[in-house]
Amino acid sequence: MAAAADSSGDGGTSSGEKTIVLVSSDNSARFEVREAAALLSQTVRRMIDEAGADASGDGITLPDVDAKTLAKVLEYCNKHAPASSSSSAAEAAPPAEGEEDLERFDREFVRVDMGTLYSLVTAASYLKIEGLLNLTCQTIADMIKGKTPEQIRKTLGITSEFTPEEEDEVRRENAWAF
Amino acid sequence: MPFSSMIQEMKGEIGAISSRGLLRFRSDRPGGHAAAGRAPAAEPPGEALRESCWAQVPPELLRMVLARVEDEEARWPGRSAVVASAGVCRCWRAVVKELVRVPEASGKFTFPISLKQPGPRDAPIKCFIRRNRATQSYSLCVGVTDALADDGKFLLAARRSRRPAGTEYLISLDAKNTSKGTCIGKLRSNFLGTKFIVYDAHPPCVGAVVSKGPYAHMIGSAQVSPGVPAGNYPISHISYKATFGSRVPRKMSCVMDSIPVSAIKGGTAPMQTEFPSINSNSFASVPFFRKSGRLDSSGVQLATQNEAKIVLKNKSPRWHEPLQCWCLNFHGRVTVASVKNFQLVASGESDLNNQDDDDVILQFGKVGKDLFTMDYRYPISAFQAFAICLSSFDTKITRE
Repeated sequence: MAAAADSSGDGGTSSGEKTIVLVSSDNSARFEVREAAALLSQTVRRMIDEAGADASGDGITLPDVDAKTLAKVLEYCNKHAPASSSSSAAEAAPPAEGEEDLERFDREFVRVDMGTLYSLVTAASYLKIEGLLNLTCQTIADMIKGKTPEQIRKTLGITSEFTPEEEDEVRRENAWAF
Repeated sequence: MPFSSMIQEMKGEIGAISSRGLLRFRSDRPGGHAAAGRAPAAEPPGEALRESCWAQVPPELLRMVLARVEDEEARWPGRSAVVASAGVCRCWRAVVKELVRVPEASGKFTFPISLKQPGPRDAPIKCFIRRNRATQSYSLCVGVTDALADDGKFLLAARRSRRPAGTEYLISLDAKNTSKGTCIGKLRSNFLGTKFIVYDAHPPCVGAVVSKGPYAHMIGSAQVSPGVPAGNYPISHISYKATFGSRVPRKMSCVMDSIPVSAIKGGTAPMQTEFPSINSNSFASVPFFRKSGRLDSSGVQLATQNEAKIVLKNKSPRWHEPLQCWCLNFHGRVTVASVKNFQLVASGESDLNNQDDDDVILQFGKVGKDLFTMDYRYPISAFQAFAICLSSFDTKITRE
């Protein structure tokens, strides 16, 4: 779980790269991250645009992301952030790390319990981080494949609440499908 | 301050936060499933959180995940994941049903009802039929690879039985059980094997009208609504004629009672969207032959009564002088000559001798011992196609 090394002084890296402070929902944690990493989130990007250039000094509070999840999300962003910090290039620029290295990171990144995975996918959706959303959705989709309805329910802790007629229909469909 | 050291400082606090159970993530949107009454009192906080959160996943996220499954599992057997997802709970079922497109649009089978829905308008769906002579049974499968035939995904089974007045095939969704209780339709022939009727166990379309006639007392009370008892709704009449005195192979004609001609002239073929809920006692045996033993279906008329129905006829083969045989272009999908092989086109569209291959709606032919390919297109369904092909096994008419 190594965070990307970042040699920065207050308010910026030694190379003068801009940083942004993100605050978790309960105000318990503040994270200073490279702008390029933070801007992977379209939501953060929009908040900065709306708040104006000076507001980021106080930190941007993310009301729907708790500290633990935010830490994990920023681990992803730091790894996937483009090398260049210029905001106009952030979308188009490739990440600083090599592709194989990133794939290995992603595979390890999603080896988490179901509760954490849930927090990650909903955070990725709220923060509008495309890469993380794709990664987490794909992980869940892969988890569903090859399982019967009962196994899916057990893995995700869902109850079915079907009527007896619906149960019958489901049973017939699955008898035919499997 | 470096990010990594900031994390170190926060660790203690985060640990404290987690033990207070504040790790729950709130969705910023209302919606998702109703969580009322879901708060479990006795379980430890971690377990309770894990159980309830997935049941409340926001609909748009659920849709994203299930759309991936549906898109990535286009072929069987992997496609069973789509059916499994629809069996998890009500919300998932609703999302999957929205995502899955009918065979006419997607060219894919997903739920069993897709076997009763019209095929795609452009490229046909390629299936194959395996015959088991010992058990007098047939199974229809769709290929899982591009080969002519492979292990395939099971679609329908049929079992043949001889009756006093002719042959009967019971068609079922259950490979191991083709009894009356599981059948979704049947094929019956007359004694000579020259005429056949295909019956659907369920109304082919909403609003099937039942006229007064000799069989009204059996079917007249059926209402088209969920829970309707299964019956016998004739959906196709097939006849075979030998052309004696010439060497031309037999002529086939299939009147598709449930499909109006407008279906192929800019309209749409009728489509069942779900199986009515089935009662185990509802498959009453309907003895159609008890009076005279002759087939007579004038008792039941469908909604297309006032519209012309599609009639499928077999394409005329061409005589190939050097090879001294009748030839049809099966595009490599039929490799063994057999009197059973045929291509059906909608008659009346143009001259049967000059049809484009694009007009072939159903193609059937032998590729091996007890192995046949079946390719079908809009406006007929896999069930209808299968029944028509079964008649080809039974008819006694051969060419001279």
